Amino acid sequence: MNPLGEKYLRKSFLPFLFCPGCGDGMIVQSFLQAVDDLGVADDLAMAAGIGCSAWIPVYMHFDVFKGLHGRAIPAAIGLKASRPSRKVVVFTGDGDGLAIGGLHLIHAARRNIDMTVVIVNNQIYAMTGGQVAPSTGVGSRTQTTPYGNLEKPLDGCKIAIASGATMVSRWSTAHTRQLTRTFKKALNHKGFSFVEVLSQCPVQTGRYILGSGSPQFNLQWLKDNCVAVKDPSQWGEIEAQGKIPVGDILQIEKPEFMEEVQRMNQKVKEEAQAKGGDR
Amino acid sequence: MKKGRIKVMMGNEACMEAALLAGCRFYAGYPITPATEILEVMSMRLPLLDGLCLQMEDEIAAMVSVVAASWGGGKSMTATSGPGFCLMQEAIGLAVAVEAPCVIVNVQRGGPASGQSTSTAQGDFYQARYGSNGDYSLIVLCPSTAQEMFDHTIKAFNLSERFRTPVIILSDEVVGHIREKVFIPDADQLTFVPRKRPTVPMEEFIAWKADADGVPPMPDFNTGYKIPVISQAKSLDGNRGNAKEADENIRRIVSKIEDHMDEFAEVLIYGAEKAETAFVTFGSVCRAARSAVDMGREKGLALRSVEVKTVWPFPDELVRRALAGAKRIVVAEMNLGMIKREIERVVRQPEIKIELFSKIGGIYPQPQEFLRFLEEKR
Amino acid sequence: MKGAERIEIDRRYCKGCLLCQYVCEFDVFEPGQERSALDYLMPRVAKIENCRVCGLCETHCPDMVLTVVANTEGKENP
Repeated sequence: MNPLGEKYLRKSFLPFLFCPGCGDGMIVQSFLQAVDDLGVADDLAMAAGIGCSAWIPVYMHFDVFKGLHGRAIPAAIGLKASRPSRKVVVFTGDGDGLAIGGLHLIHAARRNIDMTVVIVNNQIYAMTGGQVAPSTGVGSRTQTTPYGNLEKPLDGCKIAIASGATMVSRWSTAHTRQLTRTFKKALNHKGFSFVEVLSQCPVQTGRYILGSGSPQFNLQWLKDNCVAVKDPSQWGEIEAQGKIPVGDILQIEKPEFMEEVQRMNQKVKEEAQAKGGDR
Repeated sequence: MKKGRIKVMMGNEACMEAALLAGCRFYAGYPITPATEILEVMSMRLPLLDGLCLQMEDEIAAMVSVVAASWGGGKSMTATSGPGFCLMQEAIGLAVAVEAPCVIVNVQRGGPASGQSTSTAQGDFYQARYGSNGDYSLIVLCPSTAQEMFDHTIKAFNLSERFRTPVIILSDEVVGHIREKVFIPDADQLTFVPRKRPTVPMEEFIAWKADADGVPPMPDFNTGYKIPVISQAKSLDGNRGNAKEADENIRRIVSKIEDHMDEFAEVLIYGAEKAETAFVTFGSVCRAARSAVDMGREKGLALRSVEVKTVWPFPDELVRRALAGAKRIVVAEMNLGMIKREIERVVRQPEIKIELFSKIGGIYPQPQEFLRFLEEKR
Repeated sequence: MKGAERIEIDRRYCKGCLLCQYVCEFDVFEPGQERSALDYLMPRVAKIENCRVCGLCETHCPDMVLTVVANTEGKENP
């Protein structure tokens, strides 16, 4: 176990249940590096749902709430609401976060509630054995699209932006250091931050969609297909070439929900006091 | 005599008043008739107490955030009606599995599906107990007056903390919307059960190891314990449990409640305790049954009404005792015979026929109808 | 230039995915014959002298089992 693991992992839960060569463990590590650099371990409250990626926070020795499939974000809202000073981080997947939990993503982003949502996109339902996901490409053969997928994939980043997220980034597990840097930005961001991480799944995506179950092949696929861009206006261009743009897309400041709540509470309390009596 | 004040209010409002007194500071809900008033009054009152009332995107999100807010620290609740209650079922199971104290109010309306949104019904009797998947147990209380909406809400919060379990208040449209006098005791006149906290040093604390009463102590998030709270059947340290660990986990969360029913189960008798004819009622139907008992007395007819206040876990022994000596049992309910099945199971005397006086379609039974039923079915 | 004193592989948790070998620019690793506690064939540190302590193998290890221990200051690889 490397020093970061020694410091932050829940030892009795090891080994990770992830398959050999899975990107999820790399995300654990990139995130822990960010936490260590910032020294915020005690402020963290993690929320997750169901799926491979939902196990990412469970191995971290923080307070973790791993609830229902698709419902990580409502859980995070409950945690944030009950103590706004905590840093709430959600780990979700493309199925958990974009299909069954898609509505919650939209509404949490709309509220600009302070939390970081990390969506691990492996383009498939991996834990259940390789079924089509909302992020699976057109034509892909999976266990439930044996004749090829007819549905266009969803872009989580675009949904987050359109819904009102105030920080949006996308990286892949072939960008572990950029990922750590972005996690740090997200943890420091006041508002709803959304980080999509394309992650290799050699066992399902690799074997069924990309054509090889080798972890090396799958990592290389990410390297070959992700194009890091600094200027978000170039995203369309990259997409037109059939590649996946990665990088920090958006970071703006907007009133944060829990701060607004506290402001409102203060105001109505003062007004009630001025009127006299507690109604 | 307790100190307090008397106010005329709606059942749903009385529920809110009690929740605030009990210390509920997080409410998440979704508008649905006939429970919406609770969400409305909460959104008015919670900000004044530095609380938060959230109207979520659906009932699933509402219930999940209530469960998580409980772990986050503090008391939380939601209220809904049939269709919303359906959506909440998985998360009610979650509350059971992660042993999060919380309160859910179901102001029943007609079903199935959208049913009759503005009409009363009692069709969620079994759903309240068996609506989620797997083996579990929880506590369900049935108020029949605005006062009981208040009293049961206080009791619900206390029981949820005592047993670390979701507690359901199974109300109905009549009780939710009725306006009547409610006595609200001052806070210092009430007893509130505090959350059970760890007593061992932090490094010795095992997250899911229960005390002798089957209830593990519960620290809040971000108090240093760094707990894994997962929705799976778990080992004592909070990981996915093996077969033996899962077995013990599930048995414990059931027995911690069912072994302690004597602490909370409540069955009342109204009228002549030894009357040979007994009604069995719960929820709003208790009200009409009481009037029927009174009308019967005026006519020289001895009647008793057995009111089941704690419907789940079903208080077999208390009901059996309350029905002792009855020769004729009439179960009155606004469904096609749900609590009747429980009465049949509990009474088990072949010579006593359990009769059903059932009203559905949203029409509340009139007291005269009880007496007419007794005459016609004789 | 920095060099490594040793590279530790935690044999309790290694799953033998060999991503360390794949991402290494300096051919430090090769497939080995030893099995981890989880019964996977582990990578072997073949050319420690090539290591520049860039840390890529560490950050890419999905099971966090790799630790590159740098040479103490002053002792550089050729």
